[in-house]
Amino acid sequence: MSVRQWARDLRMGAKFAFTGGREGWIRVLLTAVGVGLGVALLLLTTAIPSALTAREQRGNARADYPSHYDNPERPKTDNTLVIAKLDTTYDNKNVRGRLVQPDGPRATLAPGLTKYPAAGDMIVSPALRELLDSSDGKLLRERLPYRVVGTIGESGLIGSQELAYYAGADDLEQRIGKDWEVARLDAFGATDQTSTRLDPVLILLVLVVFVVLLTPVAVFIAAAVRFGGERRDRRLAALRLVGSDSRMTRRIAAGEALSGSLLGLVFGTVFFLIGREAAGSVQIQDISVFPGDLNPTPALAALVAVAVPAAAVLVTLLAMRGVVIEPLGVVRTAKPARRRLWWRLLLPLAGLAMLYPMFGQGRDQGNFNQLLVIGGILLLLAGVTALLPWVVEAVVGRLGGGGVAWQLAVRRLQMSSGMATRPVNGIAVAVAGAIALQMLFAGIEGDYTKDTGKDLDRAQMQVNTTPGIPLAPVTEKFAALKGVRKVTALGIGSMGNISWRSADGPQRMVQVAIGDCAALRETADLPSCHDGDVFALRSSRNDGGDTKVLAKPGRTLHLGTSEVSGTALDVKWTVPQDLKHARVIKDPNGMEREGFLMTPSALPAQASGALSGEIYLSLDESVPYVKEQVRNTAVTADLFANTTVWASTEQSTKFVKIRIGLLIGVTCVLLLIGASLLVSQLEQLRERKKLLSALVAFGTRRRTLSLSVLWQTAIPITLGLLLASAVGLTLGAVLLKMTAETVSVHWPSVLSMVGIGAGVVLLVTLCSLPPLLRLMRPDGLRTE
Amino acid sequence: MTPPPGALLAADNLRKAYGPTNALDGAEFSIHPGEVVAVMGPSGSGKSTLLHCLAGIVTPDSGSITYDGREMSTMSDAQRSALRRSEFGFVFQFGQLVPELTCVENVALPLRLNGTPRKAAERAALSWMQRLEVDDLGRKRPGEVSGGQGQRVAVARALVTDPRVLFADEPTGALDSLNGERVMELLTDAARSTNAAVVLVTHEARVAAYSDREIVVRDGKSRDMERAI
Repeated sequence: MSVRQWARDLRMGAKFAFTGGREGWIRVLLTAVGVGLGVALLLLTTAIPSALTAREQRGNARADYPSHYDNPERPKTDNTLVIAKLDTTYDNKNVRGRLVQPDGPRATLAPGLTKYPAAGDMIVSPALRELLDSSDGKLLRERLPYRVVGTIGESGLIGSQELAYYAGADDLEQRIGKDWEVARLDAFGATDQTSTRLDPVLILLVLVVFVVLLTPVAVFIAAAVRFGGERRDRRLAALRLVGSDSRMTRRIAAGEALSGSLLGLVFGTVFFLIGREAAGSVQIQDISVFPGDLNPTPALAALVAVAVPAAAVLVTLLAMRGVVIEPLGVVRTAKPARRRLWWRLLLPLAGLAMLYPMFGQGRDQGNFNQLLVIGGILLLLAGVTALLPWVVEAVVGRLGGGGVAWQLAVRRLQMSSGMATRPVNGIAVAVAGAIALQMLFAGIEGDYTKDTGKDLDRAQMQVNTTPGIPLAPVTEKFAALKGVRKVTALGIGSMGNISWRSADGPQRMVQVAIGDCAALRETADLPSCHDGDVFALRSSRNDGGDTKVLAKPGRTLHLGTSEVSGTALDVKWTVPQDLKHARVIKDPNGMEREGFLMTPSALPAQASGALSGEIYLSLDESVPYVKEQVRNTAVTADLFANTTVWASTEQSTKFVKIRIGLLIGVTCVLLLIGASLLVSQLEQLRERKKLLSALVAFGTRRRTLSLSVLWQTAIPITLGLLLASAVGLTLGAVLLKMTAETVSVHWPSVLSMVGIGAGVVLLVTLCSLPPLLRLMRPDGLRTE
Repeated sequence: MTPPPGALLAADNLRKAYGPTNALDGAEFSIHPGEVVAVMGPSGSGKSTLLHCLAGIVTPDSGSITYDGREMSTMSDAQRSALRRSEFGFVFQFGQLVPELTCVENVALPLRLNGTPRKAAERAALSWMQRLEVDDLGRKRPGEVSGGQGQRVAVARALVTDPRVLFADEPTGALDSLNGERVMELLTDAARSTNAAVVLVTHEARVAAYSDREIVVRDGKSRDMERAI
């Protein structure tokens, strides 16, 4: 057979695809849309790494902290700038804030700005401008009382939905040296761009996420090129009548599939471009990207462009092995050969064999062989698609009995189990992969989750004020807020053995916390407490350390602000003769303090300027926006106050991002496969329109037919999900073994993934009911 | 107009339009128990629409249909479905057998829809298949039998519930003359043996010859040939 012959037949197939009338067009469109969706998802996935790199580069380009802030003594010139970090949180979204005061007209410009705002003005990101203009941003507007005079350009933002602002100030210079967050700089951009190497286990996670998400897409594309196959076979039968042989018909079919997939590539590119634009307006867990940054890796995009049409031809040729197309429009399904189990088992076994050498490697021994990981997981997941048709055939072959709906469904499955399993394959693979990943996540979660130690029963928010801010009025403001149940305020300073202004500063120092008796009792077990009392803390953990040395009645100590060198306050204080001792307890922060506790009268009056504030707030969280009100109050009391919402645990951000990525990916993939399931369901129903009408004509209840459709989907799906659970649990166990973690099944994750898979099927069945009911109308019997 | 005395199924002044096309335009019809009535006419004349209206598959735009003294237009969809399940039988041009069920399961299907247990339904189905000379096809699927055999299986399916009215829409349209005649012989014999009325839609005179009476439909209007004579 010559290449010319192949080319001629493929061309003829392409011609039929586009000139085959309405039916032909519908088939090509279905295939193209299906392939297009898959291609778009592949392109989007391959674009994620570049988007994340661009995000990191944007972040580096505007970096001003900590590399510049740790050198606050930079000399003032006409190209320097004083900058202060004023980040905040609003409605669980981070807001990047900077106060700026240029030292001269040539002050280095931050990326995205054309000039700096004057004092009282601010330049905002587009997303922040939108939020401030909306009613949702009312409370944030109170917190940022500046006039909006401009918009930060794209180069100054790390994501399209980032909330950021630069506000002008005229009193920043005097804060240099007093506040950590204020510094003078002469250039933006990170000086040290060495990014931290990702933990091998996290690399493994990323690899598995990619394989798990992309395998079902490949399965979906394979299913999409077979959309409308029955109608195409009828057309090919007509070709047989006019003399084409069976090989020619196969090549013509391949030509049709090729055209559909090529059109799918075009659709995919369009969908990708649309999706890329849409991605610009989406924000997930504070991460957004600019459409321009979502660029597929050229090599991967080329691979998609070649692999998809090639796969389309291959799948069509494979699918047609089981079909005998005869002239006279007769298409009989060739007697299907009994499905063999042995070679189907080889795939997952080979996958296991590839992963086995990496058992017990853990994160200590470093790198996993990426090729072996990808190959092993691919083979295991491909095993699902190989095993499922065998399982469905074996099980439905043994089913019998039941009502009419059940009988109709079972018999249909017995007759063509392949057609029923094809769309299920994608869901099964996605669920298997997701179960394995969830198991892996649950297994290693402990390694990436830290207990913060904070006592959320005692407080839920903490506000830290900068040195010199009087605590009493701040405390009153918080106490007056609706939704604030209790305020515990402590002034915090450092007590050293010698002056803070001496060349090297004190060699021995302890912390001192000042508050009323109620506040002090949050940190120590006080036997008795009156204003004027001073306590030295005894820790159960050590022998007292510097406290034991310094807490000698009559000794003179120096109270100061140790945070910033050079400009420290220094207040002398003598340890009183009636010094009391107290046993330390964990404060609401979960910390055991050391040093001294003092009631307000025990403190020299001039010492208040040396104290920073630590305020713990117990909230009634049912009061709307109570946290935002606290943040606003904190800012009015002290612009540089640091407000945090407490959580009992905190997870590594990289771990959280991968986990979120998985959830989004799995949901997208399942929805995509759900769409393909719906298309193939509707296609099968359309093929049976006349039969359905006839069944209704002789009195079959619509409920019976609907139930039959449900069973036809539910049986293969149930088997698919069972198989997916088995493979998923195996893969999960293997991955945990590889990371040297104890193998345990996290059943809620397994059940939730199986539940999502089952939910997709239910949704598809519900969506296919209206067309089913329409097809069951007696009009289907009309021929004229 | 009141239905003719003794008529099992009668229609008066039926009108039905599909868009701008009048499929039925004042058609009339009546049939008595045990009677075989052929509805004839050219393609597109409205004969299949008349059959669908008479069987309660399609609701006419106006006019009345009475079955056994009951007005069908007052029946709900569920009641008409129940009627079709228990009192009517159907044979279509292409048997419309369910391809995934075996022949015996296809024949037993109407009984099973009526709630008859599977084994009893299949016993009754086999006995009808025997009468229609296709009992050896019981375990085969429709795709494995010839057109004539399939149509006989479809006739067995139509008769298995002992219907009082059998609707046959071009039952031999897809068969050669020899097979067509055999199917018609079996169909009419079986119907007469159970005193079932047969509404036979056809455009072939040799098929109509098996009927007791002919009604011709043209442009949606019917003409009873016996009365016309």
